[in-house]
Amino acid sequence: MKDYILLALLWPFAGAVLTWFVGRPWKSKASEEQKQDKAVEIKADVCRNIFAAATVLVELLIVLGLWFSNGLADRLGLTGLSGFAEIFGGEGQKAGKAVIVYWQHVCGMELSFAVDGFRGLYALITAFMWVISTLFSFEYMAHYKNKNRYYFFLLLTLGATVGIFLSADFFTMFVFFEIMSMASYVWVAQDEKKESLRAAETYLGIAVIGGLCILMGMMLLFNEVGSLSTAGEIGGGLLGVSGGASAQSGIQRGRVLAAGILMLVGFGAKAGAVPLHIWLPKAHPVAPAPASALLSGVLTKTGVFGTMLLTLRVFFGNYNFGLLIFGLGILTMVTGAVLALFSVDLKRTLACSSVSQIGFIFTGVGTAGLFSGSESVAEEGYIMSLSGGILHMVNHSLIKLVLFCAAGVVFMNLHQLNLNEIRGFGRKKPLLHAIFLAGALGIAGVPLFNAYVSKSLLHEGIVHLQEKQPALWLKAAEWIFIFSGGLTAAYMTKLYVSLFWEKNVDADKQTAYDEKKRYMRPLSAVLLSIAALLLPILGVAAGINESVFNFESLWGALLSLLIGAFIYLLPVRCFLMKDGKYAEIWRPEWDLEDRVYRPLLHGLELALSTVCRFLDRLPDYLVVGLRKSVYKDSPLPHELEEGNVLTHAVGGFLDWVKQVLNRTFRRKRPIEISFEHKLAMLLEQAKENNTLIGRSLSFGLLLFCIGLLMTLAYMLMICMSTF
Amino acid sequence: MILISILIPALTGLFLLLGPEWKNRKMLCFFTAAALLISVAAVGVTLALTKDSGAIALFNLTKGLPILFKIDGISRFFAVMTGIVWTAAGIYSFAYMSHEQNEKHYYGFYLLSYAVLTGLDFSGNLITFYLFYELMSLLTLPLVLHSGTKEAIMAGLKYLFFSLAGAYLVLFGLFMLNRFGNTLTFTAGGVLDVSLIQGKEGLLLAVAFLMILGFGVKAGMFPLHAWLPTAHPVAPAPASGVLSGMIVKCGVLGIARTVYYLFGAEFIRGSWVQQVWLILLLITVLLGSMMAYREKVLKKRLAYSTVSQVSYILFGLAMLQPASFVGAFLHIGAHALMKCGLFLVAGAIIYKTGKTKVEELSGIGRQMPVTMVCYTLLSLSLIGIPPLAGFVSKWYLGMGSIRSGLWVFDILGPAVLMISALLTAGYLLPLSIHGFLPGAEMAEHNVEKQEAPILMLIPILVLTVLIVVGGIFPNTAIEFIMNIVGTLFKEVVGG
Repeated sequence: MKDYILLALLWPFAGAVLTWFVGRPWKSKASEEQKQDKAVEIKADVCRNIFAAATVLVELLIVLGLWFSNGLADRLGLTGLSGFAEIFGGEGQKAGKAVIVYWQHVCGMELSFAVDGFRGLYALITAFMWVISTLFSFEYMAHYKNKNRYYFFLLLTLGATVGIFLSADFFTMFVFFEIMSMASYVWVAQDEKKESLRAAETYLGIAVIGGLCILMGMMLLFNEVGSLSTAGEIGGGLLGVSGGASAQSGIQRGRVLAAGILMLVGFGAKAGAVPLHIWLPKAHPVAPAPASALLSGVLTKTGVFGTMLLTLRVFFGNYNFGLLIFGLGILTMVTGAVLALFSVDLKRTLACSSVSQIGFIFTGVGTAGLFSGSESVAEEGYIMSLSGGILHMVNHSLIKLVLFCAAGVVFMNLHQLNLNEIRGFGRKKPLLHAIFLAGALGIAGVPLFNAYVSKSLLHEGIVHLQEKQPALWLKAAEWIFIFSGGLTAAYMTKLYVSLFWEKNVDADKQTAYDEKKRYMRPLSAVLLSIAALLLPILGVAAGINESVFNFESLWGALLSLLIGAFIYLLPVRCFLMKDGKYAEIWRPEWDLEDRVYRPLLHGLELALSTVCRFLDRLPDYLVVGLRKSVYKDSPLPHELEEGNVLTHAVGGFLDWVKQVLNRTFRRKRPIEISFEHKLAMLLEQAKENNTLIGRSLSFGLLLFCIGLLMTLAYMLMICMSTF
Repeated sequence: MILISILIPALTGLFLLLGPEWKNRKMLCFFTAAALLISVAAVGVTLALTKDSGAIALFNLTKGLPILFKIDGISRFFAVMTGIVWTAAGIYSFAYMSHEQNEKHYYGFYLLSYAVLTGLDFSGNLITFYLFYELMSLLTLPLVLHSGTKEAIMAGLKYLFFSLAGAYLVLFGLFMLNRFGNTLTFTAGGVLDVSLIQGKEGLLLAVAFLMILGFGVKAGMFPLHAWLPTAHPVAPAPASGVLSGMIVKCGVLGIARTVYYLFGAEFIRGSWVQQVWLILLLITVLLGSMMAYREKVLKKRLAYSTVSQVSYILFGLAMLQPASFVGAFLHIGAHALMKCGLFLVAGAIIYKTGKTKVEELSGIGRQMPVTMVCYTLLSLSLIGIPPLAGFVSKWYLGMGSIRSGLWVFDILGPAVLMISALLTAGYLLPLSIHGFLPGAEMAEHNVEKQEAPILMLIPILVLTVLIVVGGIFPNTAIEFIMNIVGTLFKEVVGG
């Protein structure tokens, strides 16, 4: 078991290094001809691709092995979704306990891993997503430079991500979290264009700041609680209303709360929760499509995982923390959806959509957190909202894989992402049409597709909460939820219609698009079809399992879709389109990052640097001050003469020789240097060097005197005490 | 055995300085390499053979003031680190110094300062320590002065005068301790004579503070840090490496000896000395990072970074708490390796391209990939990204200070460390980023690879590997430091 988990973790790292070595273009010195070099490079490419494919496939097998050896596969049938929610309490707890393996004395603490419901599930999803996107990369990346670097960091991140999802404590999670953040930076910057580098800078900044917040929070938490474990028994929360550890003495509630919020900042930033979502809409459009799929499908989920652990393990039973997450969820949900509606860039829309969907997941987690405050934990509503949240995570991962890869196909052919440019590309391309439609229907929550199930569960969770706690804000939240669902449908319709139904404004382009029959390789087509087929299958299977095909849920979905249709027909078609083109209503200047975060950071930096500069120069200022006052140089009595007797004599002689020469031998090219002056200057320079040393000596002597004074003071004291 | 290990480098160094000119550069390098390796081996043998209890008194200066050598846990730790850093930078020098003048001179002082540092590590009492401390200031001065430019001379003088000022503060403390202590021999828990200091605690606290300030000069502690960013960058790169790597740590060693072995942690705990010291340290941490962030010249940036990082270490010591003590010592080791490595990288870049400013180095990753990969790893470690060594020490430092429960500082300290880490990322990573990702326009034309010579690459690689391995498996070091902690603190806290 232990070796198995270690294998699952270390294999991708090993694979990454191997792949990198294999993929290096081994240029032999003999083959200096360009053609030969090209051949070698292609050969290296093929080898590397085979290696990368082998690595991800083997990783999938390893994770599947983990899955079966822990009996996770049976659990799906037994307990339904709640079986996967076990690490967060509730019914599934009974299903079985996680085996925790420790890897001692690593990184100054110990690393611990567990394979239980959720962890196993997400390790599997991660491995699966990586297989599809790595294999899709072969075609997508074919014309990129620095492919070796891309694959190396792709595989490196796989190992780190699996490590995060299998981790059984926050420390382990943090170690892999940082590796993941640093490694995935390279994806965003892959093509090294200006905007990519800037987006990558944002990504890195958020990652580093978030990481430091998590670290700080973790230290505080560890100090208060004495453990960072996130697996095994659930011992109530720390700050829960009902007993738990809060009853213990010595725990400062304020500090634990501060720790929780700090960690939430870090995890929330990675997840893309508003107001730290800024990196998503920037990074996704510039990253290669398979990388975008992973960024949005898997990497944001690590942040969600952390948030879930915080809400439902650390702060289990804490009503206020649940409320915080719930509020964040609602805010993120709407903001993301509105941003997506305004966007006219295919991948940017998808990125904003990711923000919005993360909001849905947060809402579910928050609802569960609100339930956890009540007496009976295993309420139906708790299970519902929690499994809804987890299922929506899975759904969103899979859907975004399909949609981003489809967007990748478009970009691969056109190198454009603007809706007005790519409009009509999908016409007469039935396969791409079907794939994209599956994703769009999935995410919009149409019955028989997967997100319908999870959204219904989330919705019912909120309804249950209302029954328990009738309040106006909950009613409002429910309506915002449905409205956001409608927005989702609307922006997906916008993408879908413009890509597959409308014709391009430019008729020549449209004919060119229509004639393009070979727009992706067979391998990519098969991969995308598999990924797209999963969506309805999952939708039907999970739907039956969770019995959501009832009137209430169908009505909720229908309501959402109706709102969506309304939004699409009225505001989108009327206000967001001008002269038959998609207008950019949302100005680039309205950017939270450029308007708020960057100026804020710069201002802080400026203030701090001014203070620091002053402090840094303080000793020097003191010395200068003394030099100007107490140790002031006496003013010069008279203007110094140039040179001395010797230089005058020698210089005069040389000048005389020069004059003689000028008149005799060098009449045509007279020498024009004045030796007298030159020698005097040399002397001056030598003197200056000496004074420099002398002046510093005076400074040193000053310091020396301080020491001497101390000694004298001591001697005085000796005398005093003797007599 | 201790004496032999000091004498070998001292005599060979003197021979190089006073002996005849070498006609063959290769022979000179071989001789230095052999001398260096034999010296390091001698230290190793000494460490293996000598027991902690034994002390060697060489001769008495006056009655009751012997020159005394003793080996304990701290000595061992420092001796090992010194050995690693000196060997790495030494091997590197053979390639690097080929384009500088007056090599013989440099190697001579290089060996001599190694001898002095070994003596410093093995010193058993304050007198001996002071003696070697002053020698160290004087013998490392030629390393700073080496290039002989006006700038170097000015920097050297600044270095000298700051060192002397610090040393006088220490000397003052030495007199006082001689009067109020039982002995000047380093003893865990302190040497103060309880009956003598009755009623004079205030005075002694002031003395302790002055001594901390005095040793703090070497460690680049605010307000007497100004020499460090001036002196380190002008030295040849390997010399900067050992200066930033180990010499500044001698100030740390001095403070550790003063606080834990002369005054005793109990005496200082909770006093104004601790608080003022902590404030100074936090200022230094921020100041160093911020100045490094604003600095354009790579080597100067690294020197400011040293100012900040060494105060991390002192912060761990100032907390007077076991876990942060472990963190401090881990960081001594980690920082010695990282900063030495980074300076060697900076030197390699200068050697190959002649460029010193960060902004000129766009695309350097294409030219010197191996070097820059090492640079990136070392930088990540310095920021404190797991699983590298810098993270482990930062974790212990942070945990220790939170655990200390010291008013305000328990939270403020780690918070400042975090801000500083952010700045560290801000001043180290841009070189990696622009180095490897110079932008699409630059990426078009093929840059020729010009990796540094193998003698320069190997030390950099070894230091990087040590950082990575030490980060993943730091347990040997932690257990070793725990043993030291066991002698210093009554309550031994695990984890």
